[in-house]
Amino acid sequence: MAKTVSKSSSKAKAEGKIRRTINGAAINLQRTPPLAPLPQKSEEKLRIGVFVCHCGRNIAGVIDVKEVAEYAETLPDVVYARDIRYACSILGQDEIRKSIKEHNINRIVVAACSPRLYESTFRKTCAEAGLNSYFFEMANIREFSSWCHLNTPEEATEKAKETVNMAVTKARLLEPLKEIEIPIIKNALVIGGGIAGINSALDLANMGFKVYLLEKTESIGGHMAQLDKTFPTLDCSICIEGPKMVDVGRHPNIEIISYADLVSVSGYVGNFKVKIGKNPRYVISENCTGCSECKEVCPIEYPNEWDINMGVRKAISVPFEQAVPLVYSINMDHCIECYKCVDACGARQAINFDQKLEEIELNVGAIIVAIGFESYLPYDNPLYGYGKYYNVITAMEFERLILAAGPTSGKVIRASDGEKPHSVVFIQCVGSRDIEKYEYCSGFCCMYTLKHAVMLKEKYRDGVQVYVVYTDLRSDFKGYEEFYNRTKKAGVHFVRTKLKNRSITEDSATRNLIVHAETEGGQSVEIEAEMVVLANAAVPIYNATELAEILKIQIGANGFFVECQPKIRPTETDTPGIFLAGACQGLKDIPYSVSQGSSAAAQAATILSKPTWIVEPLVARVNEDICSGCGVCESVCGYDAVRIEKIGEKELAKVTEGLCRGCGICSATCPSGAITMPLYTKAQVVAQVKTALEEVK
Amino acid sequence: MTQKSLQTTELRIGVFICYCGLNIGAVVDVADVADYARSLQDVVYVKTNRYTCADPGQEEIRKGIREYNLNRVVVAACSPRMHEPTFRRTVSEAGLNPFLFEMANIREFSSWCHPSTPEKATEKAKEIVKMAVAKVRLLQPLDVIEVPVTNKALVVGGGVSGTSAALALAEMGYKVYLVDRAESIGGHMAQLSKTFPLFECSNCPQQNRCARFSCVATRIGDVAKHPNIQLLTYSEVKEVEGVIGSYKVKVVKKPRFVDESKCVGYCNVCVEKCPVQVPNEFDAGTRVRKAIYMPFDQAVPLVHTIDKENCLYFKDGNCTECKDVCEVDAIDFEQKPEEITFEVGTIIVATGFDIYEPYELKHYGYGKYKNVVTGLQLERILDTGTQITGELVRPSDSKKPNSITFIQCVGSRDVEKFEYCSGFCCMLTLKNAVLLKEKYGDDLQVNVLYTDMRTNKKGYEELFSRAQDMGINFIRTKLTNRKVVEVPETESLTVQAETENNDPVETQADMVVLATAAIPSKGSEDIARTFNISRGANGFFMESHPKLKPLDTPVDGTFVAGACQGPKDVPYSVAQGSGAAARAATILSKPKWKIEPIVAVVDPEKCRNTKVKCGICAERCPYGAIEAPENQPAKVITAMCHGCGTCVAECPADAITQKHFTDDQIIAQIRTALEDNPESKILGFLCNWCCYAGADLAGTSRFEYPPLLRPIRVMCSGRVDRDFVLEAFSRGVGMVLVGACHLPYDCHYINGNERMKVRMDTLTPMLEKLGLSPQRFRVEYVSAAEGLKFAELMKEMAAQMKELGSDKIKAENAKLKPILDRMLARKQQRSQL
Repeated sequence: MAKTVSKSSSKAKAEGKIRRTINGAAINLQRTPPLAPLPQKSEEKLRIGVFVCHCGRNIAGVIDVKEVAEYAETLPDVVYARDIRYACSILGQDEIRKSIKEHNINRIVVAACSPRLYESTFRKTCAEAGLNSYFFEMANIREFSSWCHLNTPEEATEKAKETVNMAVTKARLLEPLKEIEIPIIKNALVIGGGIAGINSALDLANMGFKVYLLEKTESIGGHMAQLDKTFPTLDCSICIEGPKMVDVGRHPNIEIISYADLVSVSGYVGNFKVKIGKNPRYVISENCTGCSECKEVCPIEYPNEWDINMGVRKAISVPFEQAVPLVYSINMDHCIECYKCVDACGARQAINFDQKLEEIELNVGAIIVAIGFESYLPYDNPLYGYGKYYNVITAMEFERLILAAGPTSGKVIRASDGEKPHSVVFIQCVGSRDIEKYEYCSGFCCMYTLKHAVMLKEKYRDGVQVYVVYTDLRSDFKGYEEFYNRTKKAGVHFVRTKLKNRSITEDSATRNLIVHAETEGGQSVEIEAEMVVLANAAVPIYNATELAEILKIQIGANGFFVECQPKIRPTETDTPGIFLAGACQGLKDIPYSVSQGSSAAAQAATILSKPTWIVEPLVARVNEDICSGCGVCESVCGYDAVRIEKIGEKELAKVTEGLCRGCGICSATCPSGAITMPLYTKAQVVAQVKTALEEVK
Repeated sequence: MTQKSLQTTELRIGVFICYCGLNIGAVVDVADVADYARSLQDVVYVKTNRYTCADPGQEEIRKGIREYNLNRVVVAACSPRMHEPTFRRTVSEAGLNPFLFEMANIREFSSWCHPSTPEKATEKAKEIVKMAVAKVRLLQPLDVIEVPVTNKALVVGGGVSGTSAALALAEMGYKVYLVDRAESIGGHMAQLSKTFPLFECSNCPQQNRCARFSCVATRIGDVAKHPNIQLLTYSEVKEVEGVIGSYKVKVVKKPRFVDESKCVGYCNVCVEKCPVQVPNEFDAGTRVRKAIYMPFDQAVPLVHTIDKENCLYFKDGNCTECKDVCEVDAIDFEQKPEEITFEVGTIIVATGFDIYEPYELKHYGYGKYKNVVTGLQLERILDTGTQITGELVRPSDSKKPNSITFIQCVGSRDVEKFEYCSGFCCMLTLKNAVLLKEKYGDDLQVNVLYTDMRTNKKGYEELFSRAQDMGINFIRTKLTNRKVVEVPETESLTVQAETENNDPVETQADMVVLATAAIPSKGSEDIARTFNISRGANGFFMESHPKLKPLDTPVDGTFVAGACQGPKDVPYSVAQGSGAAARAATILSKPKWKIEPIVAVVDPEKCRNTKVKCGICAERCPYGAIEAPENQPAKVITAMCHGCGTCVAECPADAITQKHFTDDQIIAQIRTALEDNPESKILGFLCNWCCYAGADLAGTSRFEYPPLLRPIRVMCSGRVDRDFVLEAFSRGVGMVLVGACHLPYDCHYINGNERMKVRMDTLTPMLEKLGLSPQRFRVEYVSAAEGLKFAELMKEMAAQMKELGSDKIKAENAKLKPILDRMLARKQQRSQL
């Protein structure tokens, strides 16, 4: 491949422009030529070219681009200036390359849109014309002029001229730079063994990459493993997830690290160092065969959080039968150290009461964060009486009740009397869509409520009256609306009310509940029910903020991780090499989480499949002759990229290129002026300041 | 390591019986089972182990194979769902073909579910071992099938999800062919003026909330520049042949009548000269284009296209204005369709959606009243670009309206039209409502007629709150009885609707915007046919499994992404695009694709398709893996076969065999199970994924039930042949159970359970007519989570059996046997012809 690339590009260069031709099956694509070799700081005369973009009417509709170009031509060292219709187009780029050749230009200024958009494109254009790609500067005359000064075209033109002048000033002082190549470790870490993480791990493993799957609980599976059925097809959750969990457990490329926490992450894309703390199970994983004999003899039972504390588990147990890995653990908060389990385990000697927290270190090239969500428990909202009235439960509690393998073997019963309720009210948006609590919509509650309503109706038929108190029924994906219609046909009553002014009171004699609400028209509604199920909000994992700090990724206002770009880069973060999948990025249902799991795997694979990672040379440089080793830089760097190290005799600041993000704080802070930020050197910035404050001719 | 050939040598079976600590040993008399196993024909070695799955236990197996020259191995222990892969590996390490191994599940199916009847449990364990020995005798060595993989991919559709897929694959280093039938890639997103939920767009590379510039233009620019992507626009895939790993693709490139290699795109002189004006499809007809045109300024590739339908040259041959002015001589009226063929290993279909134009829903007045437009048309009106201001104007008089009403769910959520919800219209409307309100403030009254506001993705609800605070008028109405009427003098509109309580609501508006449904893109039927994928009731492509395989299709190696699978918004489509790329990369990253050898094969001698028009197998295969050309024997495309065995059971001539689950093997299991006291037994055919797993769970959960069941595991209930049932009753069985995944969606082979149901639905009345008590033949659907249900079912059946009494069962069987034997013999004769 590499061979054809250079061949076709040199051919294209020979023609002076790059064309994309389609002749039969053979198609000559525009190729990116290899980067130009780093030229020595040249003594050659400055020959600056300026290109002023019309951007259709976007710039030319306000600014007189011809005038700006003419003005540019008068500036010292500018040998060529012209206007161009769309600089970013293939044609525009052709023009720039052509001009570089024809006019022997050695510095380029493009006056167009924001450099945040097209800087990288034009750098490539320069490289293709044989120029160092950093001999390029952009003047933003669209966002900073034409678009924000629509009604004052003359002044906008003036401002554009000055912006161009500043860019030319900087261009004069540009230095050649070269991209930095970083080697890549071809392993990945997936954090979170829910359905999104499972899919990320399986896809990466099936591409041939080694994957560490970190799970904080005893088993992978996540919330999906807790569910009875899934909407809108009502297929059994563990039937479809179980085999996937087993696939993960058996995959030669996947190592599950369960019952473990992320301790720290250092390093950078392609080279992360991850510390993980493995909590003691007091059972040696390698020796445990999952036979359950220990559990049989264990005398202690405690509430099982897997069943939302409605069922019990033994002090030595697995949370659920299909757990992967099928390794038992002892809960020391409950264990009485009777050692019956030790005897039952016998020769296998899997039980070890001396097990300690074990810290392990991994080296990985990419990280996928898929830690999912939690449920809000509305104890703090007295209106719903959750925790106060026996028969008010959350949706997940209902899920565990109706599940055949759950604590009641699938019987929906009231906590107050163990009887089957004859009427059940589902209340939507508890905590969600509530600016006082969680402004956002939790996304999937409408659908699981519909599922619960249908399941109840199908199970008890006319033996139960089902009401859904809702505001907007959100059934907006494949097969969901059809399921809503099915729910209506099943005889479920839908009661639309306002989000506000809802409350529950209890009849202390019958333990029945009265749901109070208000319709849109302000009429009050009252429904008496034997059981109330709250669609409680889904919220970020309790330690999401802490994890975000460890991973150095951003967290949004609602506590979910922030993607790099919400539209076209939904599974990438601002930190290269770290990706997001599933509900931790924003609440979503199973198919969406699965899709994102695969998507994050694809993004990680784009890194892992490359031999080296190329980063911009925007990396702080230390002048060792001036550096005093004072360490101020180390203290201000937010990325651990600058450290004071002993180099030879002296203690000097040293920059780790892979970690440096090029913010320049160290450079600005350094008291001796020993740190330079390429592309934003002191000389360059000062020159721009001077130019900006010059009188316009 | 050479694996022993077994055709010629005598059978030497080794049986390894596990105590599983006390799990089996405390209930089942393992030593007794071992003695019994020794007595079985061809068994030359029996060994008990405390833990067979532990390293020493596995070593015992390897040692046994070596020292006793074993050529078949049975392990009696736990569920094969647990350790079958482990032991297959163990036997192959000792040089035996891994498929010469069978597991007898005496834990989940015996010791764990019959703890209070240890003798009966031991008895059952013995018979389960005997059945396994009977099967293992007939097992054949099988080799994993490998097909070569061409590590290139085809992506169909250049919208936001197709380009995401193409870029991800290209970045991983795979060559990608990206085919789009339109003039330019970019898809619908290129048509959007802005995207939602814009206020959160803080990370947007360009904070102007603009869809086309910041997102699409960058993305399609990246696609155009990528050295690994070969772009084929204005092209359609005509033919796809082959299977996963090596698809041969034929693409036809339509003539643009403009030479792509010569046209310089931006110069536009041809467009200026062209005398023909037609409505521009890209602008949803809100503006015009010429007969030579480029859909939008940032098109990729940046070349013009001549629309043959409207070009005057193609009408009378006189006008050659464009050709005359073109300085680079790019116009070529003689251009012909061009055929391009290539080979790829995987295919991603991302062909998107269309917007419904509600001409037929007369009550909205679309097409009749000038100022009623679709949401897409509004997008185009509001777009800014070359010589487009983006001011809101209404079509009738090009003046700014003072009020605008959005009507949601036009065509969608309408059982008469499209039952489904189109997913993104609420957000699209909110976005435009907010943008307009921001821009015009009190100068524009904005009303939104809706039923449920569906803002349930990240940041969407926040935009809804914001819209409510801005003074946008949200009016909740019913989905039915909505009507738009024009006021002729002003060409303004009156929108009539009804609230939930049937009160009429009326609003006046200078302009009405209809949020029309997203529908399958034009030509979806042809696309489905070309790629052999199926469409759901609403016409969108069907995924392999709605939950866990949303990107896969039943055709291995072919994936779907984006709105062609169901309407979805931009971030979801993007995630699906790159997600599909990951799915494709799991194939492309391997030099060979491995297929489990448990596949179906057709005996061409027996296949009756050579004589009569049969093709039943091809029609019933859930994966389209069988071809049955006229007058030729049917053929299984191994690389597409998933090994459910449905075709085997369906074949009227018994011409198809499922490897590792052959008729002979299963019949041998049936006969062995029913050797002694058949009338007291329940013979169960349990599908691996649901009912067998449910029975496993019953065991794991220690739900006790009577020990009458003799289980036969099949991969899918679709494998259960009528003949198996007949055979069982002919052998005098007490009861037969066929256990399957729940209908309709639980089946792991798409619809094998449905096929089984159809088959059994015809068998049941026949058996009853012949005098069989209906309780004796059951088809039940048990999920992997329904351990309790399985145990209850067993109890219920045992009680019914007791109630019937063995005399009645025997009497019925005596009556049935001659008839069933005749039927079975006839079938055998037929299939031997």
